Amino acid sequence: MRRAGIFVALAVTAALSACVQTKQYADLEFTPPQGDYKLLVLRPDVTVGSLTTGGMVEPRADWTDQARASIIAALRAQQAARGGKVTIIEHRDELPGVTPEELADVERLNAAVDESIVEHKYLGDYLPTKRGNRLDWTLGEDAVRLGRKTGYDYALFLHGEDQVASGGRVALGVLGLAGCIVGFCAPNVGGAQQLDYASLVDLKTGDVVWFNVVLAGSQVPGIKFGDLRTPAGAAQMIDRLLGRMKPGEAVRRAATADAH
Amino acid sequence: MSGRCLELTRRSLLVGGAAAAASLHTGAARARIRPQDMVPLVGPGFKPTDKDEQGLWKDMDRAEEEIAGSNLVIDDPKLAGYLKSIIGTVGGPAAHDFRIYLLRVPDFNAMMFPSGFAVVFSGLLLRMRNEAQLAGVIAHESGHFLRRHMIRAWRDERRKTDLFAIGSMVAGIGGAGAGVYLGDYVQLAQLGTLLSLFSYSREMEAEADAMGVKLMEQNNYPPIELSNIWEQLIGEENASAYYRRKHRHKGGIFDTHPSDASRMVDLRADAEELTVPGKAYDAGRKRYLSTIAEIRPTLLDDQVKLNDPGASQYLIETLAQDGWNGLLRFYEGEVWRLRNVPGDQLRADQSYAAAVAYPDAPADAWRWHGIALMKQGRPAEAKAAFARYLTMKPNAPDAAWVRQTMG
Repeated sequence: MRRAGIFVALAVTAALSACVQTKQYADLEFTPPQGDYKLLVLRPDVTVGSLTTGGMVEPRADWTDQARASIIAALRAQQAARGGKVTIIEHRDELPGVTPEELADVERLNAAVDESIVEHKYLGDYLPTKRGNRLDWTLGEDAVRLGRKTGYDYALFLHGEDQVASGGRVALGVLGLAGCIVGFCAPNVGGAQQLDYASLVDLKTGDVVWFNVVLAGSQVPGIKFGDLRTPAGAAQMIDRLLGRMKPGEAVRRAATADAH
Repeated sequence: MSGRCLELTRRSLLVGGAAAAASLHTGAARARIRPQDMVPLVGPGFKPTDKDEQGLWKDMDRAEEEIAGSNLVIDDPKLAGYLKSIIGTVGGPAAHDFRIYLLRVPDFNAMMFPSGFAVVFSGLLLRMRNEAQLAGVIAHESGHFLRRHMIRAWRDERRKTDLFAIGSMVAGIGGAGAGVYLGDYVQLAQLGTLLSLFSYSREMEAEADAMGVKLMEQNNYPPIELSNIWEQLIGEENASAYYRRKHRHKGGIFDTHPSDASRMVDLRADAEELTVPGKAYDAGRKRYLSTIAEIRPTLLDDQVKLNDPGASQYLIETLAQDGWNGLLRFYEGEVWRLRNVPGDQLRADQSYAAAVAYPDAPADAWRWHGIALMKQGRPAEAKAAFARYLTMKPNAPDAAWVRQTMG
């Protein structure tokens, strides 16, 4: 009887230790693009790997290809619904009028800025000059130049990494769960993990106007959170990441004031 | 219900594993890997067929794109062609599949990536005394690819971490069932796993050395030159450490590479075994020096500005074993001038004076020589030196100042 009780308690804990977190920030004056806008998506950076029994991530080429294709399809569908024209660039030499070096510079600058946003907005190293629920970063002149040369309104940078728990990892979790019977409870060895983030850059001002992170994971192997390889999983990822784009605080406040 | 955490702290790991570490470290010495046992495991046009290796290669696509387009790449078609021709010579069966990139990093290093592209740091070009040494390093890197080291290391690590995860889980459950705590043993097992990963990596480095020396010999490079590189590196590290009043790192159980000294000794034995008496070997010193002639001032400049006078001075003296010239004397002066301890001013001035005696003295040697002469109260000679500087470098950023100083 007592052991059955442990199992129930454990199942509850297991469910709780699995979650999807998302947190977005926007420029104060940000309004989500709507209607007739041109969006440039730069080399979606997607990797899918297998989580080995021992906890290493083994990159998988076939899964990565499937996930990239699914995500691009989901992204096109989602943006078409908003009315935007989307161009997705897979390689740096695919953008007419822009050299691969120029594009590489913008990408690297964005990577550095994204890192800084994650550091100071998400990881707790808050800056006194960038407090509150607002986003105050810019790529500056480089991004404006890219916009002028190409005629795009926005650039979207997308990153997704997914770890699928291997059979061995799931078995390890099951073993850990079985151990609860003798008092050694370790089902939470760490299972599937998905980390996605996206940043939207306004190519008229160069500012990063919107940023979002989705972290989905389970401490218990075997529990899944949308598999990026499948069209459904990819659509779910795009929806979690880009589907609920909120306007900036100033815009929202103005909207509330209007309503009153 | 009692739960135990599988996390291990670094501290407990080190304390718990000290005994095991000691016993491993005093174990039997590793046997030398013989060059004749090293046969390439891949053929021309190799493409991975296993899922894990395909994944590794896929991951490398973007890495290569990033490196190839990096601002650090030295964009010099002559040097790029030279490196490509060397890897095309000593690359074994994969010679024509390799890509090789030269990055401006003033450090002694070269590396091979799993999908067959190599990166060479500019600091390597500075340190190599002839083509044979450069070819030796490139052959060593090719050896990593030809012996499929990356995927073998990955599989080894995966297997060992798998075993450790299962082992510690079983130990936990078994221990809990029997009412004993096996955590200490789990910690020892983790240390053992870690140590065997490092030693596997050292074994692969030794394999690549053996493979590399064999490829050198097959292409008529004197095999002893690979061993000479390590002798030079040990000397450089000693000089650097001595100046900073520290001791050179001599190798330990957490090293991914065998110690420099053991590599030097093994490689010397390899070279003796492989060298065919009477065969004409060519170290290619002239070809090497003429190819890197244009970039050599930049290489020396980058090194001198690292603020590592011990290493810089040793390097310059090593290169000067093949003959002093104006460039090396000038940078010798720069090492002293930038170090700037009492007496260095005089040493620097002497080096600049020696530099301008050579026909290849760089313009800046004349500039600094002129400044030294001014300070010594020899304005006429200083004026001549400055004039020489301005002739060589008419658009020097400080031309106006120099003209004013000349009076």
